[in-house]
Amino acid sequence: MSTDTLNPQTPEEPEAPTNRPPSMRRVTLWLRRPYARRVLILTVVIGFLLLPLCWLILAGMNQTGAPASEIMKDIEQTVFVFTLVSIPITAFVFAVLLYSLLGWRRVTGDEPPMQDSPAIRTNTIGVILWTATSSILAMFLVVWGLIELAQITANSYGSISANEQPGQSKSEIINVTGQQWVWTFEYPQHDGLTSDVLYLPLDRPVYFNVTSKDVIHSFWAVELGVKIDANPGAITQTGVTANKLGTFNVRCAELCGMYHAYMQTEIRVLEQDAFDSWVRESGGKKTS
Amino acid sequence: MSVDTTVETSSVFGVHVPQPRQHGAAGGVMRRLNFGTGLIGGVALATIAGWGTAILTPSSASNATFAPMEPTYVYLAVLLGWVIGFMLGIGAFVGPLRWVVGSDITHADAEYMGGKDLGKKRYWKYTTDHKVVGIQYLIVTMLLLGFAGLLAMLIRTELGMTWTELFSPSFYNSMIGTHGIAMILAMIVAVTGPLGNFIVPMMIGARDMAYPRLNALSLWLFVAAVPMLISSMFMGGIQDGWSVYQPLASQAPVGMLGYQLTIIVFAISTAIASVNLMTTILTMRAKGMTWSRTPIFVYGIFASSLMGLYAFPFFQYAQILGLSDRVFGTSFFNPLNGGSVWLYENLFWLLGHPEVYVIIIPSAAIALELMPVFLRKPLFSFNFAVAGIVGVVALSGFVWAHHMYMTGWAPAANYPFMLSTEMISIPVGFLVLVAIGTLWRGTTWTRLPLMAVYAVIFNKMIGGVTGIYLSDVPADQYFHGSMFVVAHFHFMLMGAGLFGGMAGIAFFFPKMTGRILDERIGSIGLWTSFIGFQVTFISMFVAGLQGQPRRVLDFDSQFNISNWISTIGAYVIGIGMLIFLAAIITSWRSGDVASSNPWGSKSLEWQTATPVPLENFPVLPVVTERPYNYGVPDPYEAELDAIDADLAEKVGNK
Repeated sequence: MSTDTLNPQTPEEPEAPTNRPPSMRRVTLWLRRPYARRVLILTVVIGFLLLPLCWLILAGMNQTGAPASEIMKDIEQTVFVFTLVSIPITAFVFAVLLYSLLGWRRVTGDEPPMQDSPAIRTNTIGVILWTATSSILAMFLVVWGLIELAQITANSYGSISANEQPGQSKSEIINVTGQQWVWTFEYPQHDGLTSDVLYLPLDRPVYFNVTSKDVIHSFWAVELGVKIDANPGAITQTGVTANKLGTFNVRCAELCGMYHAYMQTEIRVLEQDAFDSWVRESGGKKTS
Repeated sequence: MSVDTTVETSSVFGVHVPQPRQHGAAGGVMRRLNFGTGLIGGVALATIAGWGTAILTPSSASNATFAPMEPTYVYLAVLLGWVIGFMLGIGAFVGPLRWVVGSDITHADAEYMGGKDLGKKRYWKYTTDHKVVGIQYLIVTMLLLGFAGLLAMLIRTELGMTWTELFSPSFYNSMIGTHGIAMILAMIVAVTGPLGNFIVPMMIGARDMAYPRLNALSLWLFVAAVPMLISSMFMGGIQDGWSVYQPLASQAPVGMLGYQLTIIVFAISTAIASVNLMTTILTMRAKGMTWSRTPIFVYGIFASSLMGLYAFPFFQYAQILGLSDRVFGTSFFNPLNGGSVWLYENLFWLLGHPEVYVIIIPSAAIALELMPVFLRKPLFSFNFAVAGIVGVVALSGFVWAHHMYMTGWAPAANYPFMLSTEMISIPVGFLVLVAIGTLWRGTTWTRLPLMAVYAVIFNKMIGGVTGIYLSDVPADQYFHGSMFVVAHFHFMLMGAGLFGGMAGIAFFFPKMTGRILDERIGSIGLWTSFIGFQVTFISMFVAGLQGQPRRVLDFDSQFNISNWISTIGAYVIGIGMLIFLAAIITSWRSGDVASSNPWGSKSLEWQTATPVPLENFPVLPVVTERPYNYGVPDPYEAELDAIDADLAEKVGNK
């Protein structure tokens, strides 16, 4: 009997199972659950179904010959990346929506269900994961956007004062004037030559000084990815280097009255020689 | 006339309470006033004012550009006369006037104004009962939505008939402007008006709003504003889009005055309604209803009111300045005389963006409010939902200039505004997490209101993701001013906002009308409009990607196909909405009679009788537990422990 007291034969009990396992283990345990796996598989499937959107969106934008400039290429790259980044979260939400209708219990009828669902009031790991993921994605989008914005700003008018003297270098300056309901393009370096079609030289930086004679218009060179409002009483500046030959569109992107819809014209991007000869041939239109 | 010296008693739920003797007879002119006398008063004063102005204005009066000013003055006088006459005629000023002359409203008068024993007549009067005001808001909102929806059909018809033009450019522009602003106004009140008024006081366990008479005032100011907006269509129309950018708006015909006065009056109405709702929520919650026991819908309405309260004054101010430019020849927005077009754009969007959240937050809150009821489980992470709403409100005032990326106003400001705009996806993401967390492992009771919530979440995801492109300056450089923007905000305001409103109406219908909304017809209407909605606006996204500018009545043939599809979709929406309307009307007239709590909800508003008695509760409730206390003990713990023990056995306990 005394031996019993000295050597108690109480076998080592396993740890009480009520203790919560550590977080990482809980995640792996969670992943073993059938519904969790199915939701994740559904997410992947929906994600792959949505993936073609990345290219379909660009195909829509490229219908009339875009991208015709480095800026437009940057814009399309941004759109592509944003679509790609949005797909996982969208797919996950759609997967939960779908699975909650098809996978978990579903009841119909006029009376409230007899049995309640599990009272999940919160889930710390889930909340932290979601917040971290969405914040990281948002920060990624912000940083991407800031860098791209700096880049297209540099590509449009940022370098005008830094690199070259306007008017003396190879850059072309064009004064764009909107009025109800036509665009006028003036080439001050060519004795104030004016045109109602926008002629651009290939692969040369062009700077636009944009203004309006009456109401607000918005100068949109669609395939070049250029857009800036034409405001009465103010001059706004932007620029672009067209790097593709062809005929593109200028549209007005701000409601400007009755014939807003018809306030559009053409962009003709020409080789330097052809551009020069256009300038010479139109010389009769010189205003001064 | 002898003074009545008997002690008046008032019956409060059958208990006779002696009342102090009060001055004034229990009669008075207010018992004769109703909507009809309001109309008569409005039309009479409008006629007199217009006529008088026409006589007094010299016919040679003209402005700096030699345009005759007489129509402007007359139309302005008519509109002002209408508002004042209508409000006089319906009895909005009876209370203050009687207070001034020293015969204040008596208890009997107050009960009369509350609609006691008036039957259906109370819906046509200046009634202070919050439930009557809620129903009145519902009817007016539905009428306004119907009017704006009709314009939408006409717009899509014009855009779908690519081979011909049905309308003149000026009438087309006037239609898009009126459609836009009418829809915006209707959507601002669509949830906060009917449900904020009818449901919120009951949800927090109050007898009425904090300021019942102001409640009626806000409603009838809104009612007075609507005819002004519609009248502008007959006065040359609002040809400048809903944003009426200056200086285009100063070129517009006199109809622009209708827009400006509508906004001025509507902003007053909104301010009154916001203050009233906020005071009610802050001060009149039932005993025991701490902030963590307050339902999420109440948070949503509070947030929406708060944003409306600070945002609308900018808009109102912008319209007052615009009106002054037009009528008095000032030049706040006239660049030729030193005004600034960017000033207008800033003032406008200082309203414009918070207003988007004013519309979306209540419908998101409705979605979160009714999910626990149909899933029979608590709202997932209530605090997170509150944090999401607070985050949206906090950021709402710092994002407006993302509408002005391309204006050239301040290119350097594009960087911080891009930052703040993209930040807003984080609190909005909180709300999405709460929604899917609540769906997680829930038993779905697939009734119409819950299905509308699914539609809201789906649309909100698409609207949210496309919003990310627009928040980014480089991408916006392509999308700004294109049909892509139109499709995006329709996904948000209609897809999330209006479908959320439909969910709310379907859910609260039994409490509001005493009958169940017809499930079958309602569902057909909901899904028809949902499918039409996707067709319309996804093809509109395509048109935007291809480069179609918005607000055009004619376009290159490359956009034809997407516009045809979009128009077909629009008709499907129209049919679906008519079916849903039919469900509302038939169910209201002859639907199945509802019990007082047909959804088995635990919220306070379902604990009182249907139809809800005047002053809502016989005895004010006391709240003792958190909201959404549904659910069985979570098998999560037991299940996890079992797996864990199983695992421990297999791999050994290390």
